[in-house]
Amino acid sequence: MSELSSLLALMIFPGGLALLAAGLLYEWADRKLVAQLQNRLGPRWFQPLADTFKLLAKEEIVPQGVHKGLFWGLPVVAVAAALTAALYVPLAGLNPAAAFRGDLIVALYMLSLLTLCLGLAGANTYNRFSVIGATRTLTQLFSYEAPFMLSLLGPALVAGTWQISSINQYAAGNTWMILTQPVGFVVALVGLMGKLELPPFDAPEAETEIVSGALTEYSGRGLALFHLGKDIELVIGLTLVSAFYLGGLTNPLAFLLKTLALLLILAVLQSLFARLRIDQTVGLWWRVGALLALVQLLLVIVLKGTGVL
Amino acid sequence: MEEQVQAKNKFVVPIGPQHPALKEPGHFEFTVDGEIVVGATVRLGYAHRGIEKGCEDRNWAQGMYLVERVCGICSHIHAMTFALGAEKLANVTAPPRAQAIRLLVGELERIHSHMLWLGVQAHEGGFDTLFMYTWRDRETVMDLLEMLTGNRVNYSANVLGGVKCDVTDPIASEILKGMDFLEQRARYYLDIVSTDETFLGRTRDVGTMTKEQALRIGAIGPTGRASGLERDVRLNAPYAGYVDFPIKVVTEQGGDLLARTLVRVKELFESIRLIREVLDKLPPGEISVRMPRRVPEGAVVSRVEAPRGEVLYYMKSAGSDKPERIKIRTPSICNWATVMATAVGHKLADMPMLLAGIDPCFSCSDRSVKIVRRDDEQYMTWEALRQYGNGFYR
Amino acid sequence: MKIGVMINDLVRSLFSKPATEKYPFEKRPAPERLRGKLYWDPAKCTGCQLCVKDCPSEAIELIVLDKVNKRFVMRYHIDRCTYCGQCVENCRLECLGMSSEQWELASTKKEPFEVFYGKEEDIQELMDRLDHASATPQNRRD
Repeated sequence: MSELSSLLALMIFPGGLALLAAGLLYEWADRKLVAQLQNRLGPRWFQPLADTFKLLAKEEIVPQGVHKGLFWGLPVVAVAAALTAALYVPLAGLNPAAAFRGDLIVALYMLSLLTLCLGLAGANTYNRFSVIGATRTLTQLFSYEAPFMLSLLGPALVAGTWQISSINQYAAGNTWMILTQPVGFVVALVGLMGKLELPPFDAPEAETEIVSGALTEYSGRGLALFHLGKDIELVIGLTLVSAFYLGGLTNPLAFLLKTLALLLILAVLQSLFARLRIDQTVGLWWRVGALLALVQLLLVIVLKGTGVL
Repeated sequence: MEEQVQAKNKFVVPIGPQHPALKEPGHFEFTVDGEIVVGATVRLGYAHRGIEKGCEDRNWAQGMYLVERVCGICSHIHAMTFALGAEKLANVTAPPRAQAIRLLVGELERIHSHMLWLGVQAHEGGFDTLFMYTWRDRETVMDLLEMLTGNRVNYSANVLGGVKCDVTDPIASEILKGMDFLEQRARYYLDIVSTDETFLGRTRDVGTMTKEQALRIGAIGPTGRASGLERDVRLNAPYAGYVDFPIKVVTEQGGDLLARTLVRVKELFESIRLIREVLDKLPPGEISVRMPRRVPEGAVVSRVEAPRGEVLYYMKSAGSDKPERIKIRTPSICNWATVMATAVGHKLADMPMLLAGIDPCFSCSDRSVKIVRRDDEQYMTWEALRQYGNGFYR
Repeated sequence: MKIGVMINDLVRSLFSKPATEKYPFEKRPAPERLRGKLYWDPAKCTGCQLCVKDCPSEAIELIVLDKVNKRFVMRYHIDRCTYCGQCVENCRLECLGMSSEQWELASTKKEPFEVFYGKEEDIQELMDRLDHASATPQNRRD
């Protein structure tokens, strides 16, 4: 019986199909919101789904000189990593499908694995745009990863546990941590944008410079899988940030409202700025982001040590 | 190619002929060291259409519509330069009202071109929101042009000897209403491009060109004016209505992308001011005079300030109803060198903005192609040309 | 130093309708001066051919059936026309004009692009001649 339910959890809900559907819908919501902010119409609700089907149906062109195994395998690993990470987060406000002590670290590394796959996929080809895209992807990974992690560790320290579901419960029972740790929230949100390579942090896939960055050589199934991976990452990222900072996710309605509110903020931020050059991105993260997150973290540790929290 | 690159341990990033940054074909090779550009070359010639030769095969009126299609954005400018030149050859002067309307359409077109450019520049810098808003507001001026002339892009406002479309009172009041809206929006855009820190981060101190450099390379139009060159055909050699309605030249001293942006946005205000003045003091009278079909023998140079800089036409007539020779020099071709001169030392990410910064028009650039080889001679006999052609296509 | 200068526009757009027009479903009326499909009134035409001479794209042909009795048929190639309006400008008798209503002229077939203007019987006669011409083998200039 428990095998059946774990299988269900993996394939249908909360992992697998439900997550893919949620990812596509959130991508649509994001695009629609950005379009609305830019005073245009935006895509219809099934557009991301239609794109995915179209890509899956297309022939996948494997360019000369690539490692075939890697070219085929990396997208699969990327999606698998994203799907695995989803098992530990409170999707739809329900208890995570799996939980153990320290699963926060695992979930974060699973998400980084996706970006790593993206970088490797770019470096795997001879395409110049891909190679530059891969370099930028990995550079960006190194710049946002530390501040993003530090910003998520703040709530974890306050809750006294590194288990996502426990932090979620703690957050639900206490003051919203957006109020107690506002800096952490901002860093986490902007870090999420860096992770998802959303504008203004879209230098790794800046179409006016390097076409499509690391994914330039991907055409069919691989591209679809990478896109799905990104969509899932979006849902997971939104879930994590809202669970930690917006008072926890305890029921589906709260999940929907909080993640969509967060998505709206993301959409506004996306359309508000010009793209940052990769050197500006790195500078911003290490000079400002990491420092702020570190100060916040130290403050939390000190306060915790003195018994205020 | 590959071996060369490997041997020199250089990494060449090609931009174009097909590339998302460029909406027209042109080929640029940027040699990069990491993200830093250490070398840049340009190759044009993908959009050569033989317009100059085509003109020789058409009569004067037909030729005007052909040159109107040299560039999709400054279509009126090209037709006006052609018409002014042909009128000068034929000793015909278009009536003052026609000249003023030519100016009016020209300035409306300048607004449309500069707003288009601002959107493109924002898009190259990844600022899609600004792109969407400028292009939305550009619709206003496009609609005005459509209402005035009857078409949104190829206005065909000129005929030889004057213009086709007259400005009536309702149209004038509509234009003035549009100008009020555009002035308010232009002020807003000026605020954005001069204060938004993310956009400034992409434009300030990028592609800086000193006045001396600009003079040496021969930069013209807003690109030159951004480096402090006070050059504008509208002021230096007034034509059409600019004799009666002088302009104030907008210059900036910075020479970087920011200065180029500011020059263009500030020119919007100047155009709006001029349009208001023209509509206020529109000379009465006819809008066209008769033009002979056969144009007397002679040659003339006609110069006009397009949104991108100076357009120059050399026109020669042999006394027939067809031109003997038309030579077109468009502003984009003069400004390419500025990109190549300023590219080195910047980041690869700056290249699209730098390319777009001169407001390039690739189809404008491709008037003629000359492939220079080692043993090439300046002139070819007909027989040699035939043999060359046969050999080339074998 | 300011960031996020465009926030006003964004907030305004969030609560307003998109600027995009859903074109085939919503149409704005075209301005009065729009240069659309050319039309020709045979009544006043003298057959001076000035319109044909200056057409930059050879889109119009004035076929003379009977010069003395002023019987002409205009063959108008919509697909070649650049809508410049030079023919309208050239015509001193105001036989030519451009419609501001008929401007959606796209078609997936070639046939709608060739239009004959003129009196019914003249067009009929021209058609008969053309049929005859295509039946006999000879070089037809197109």
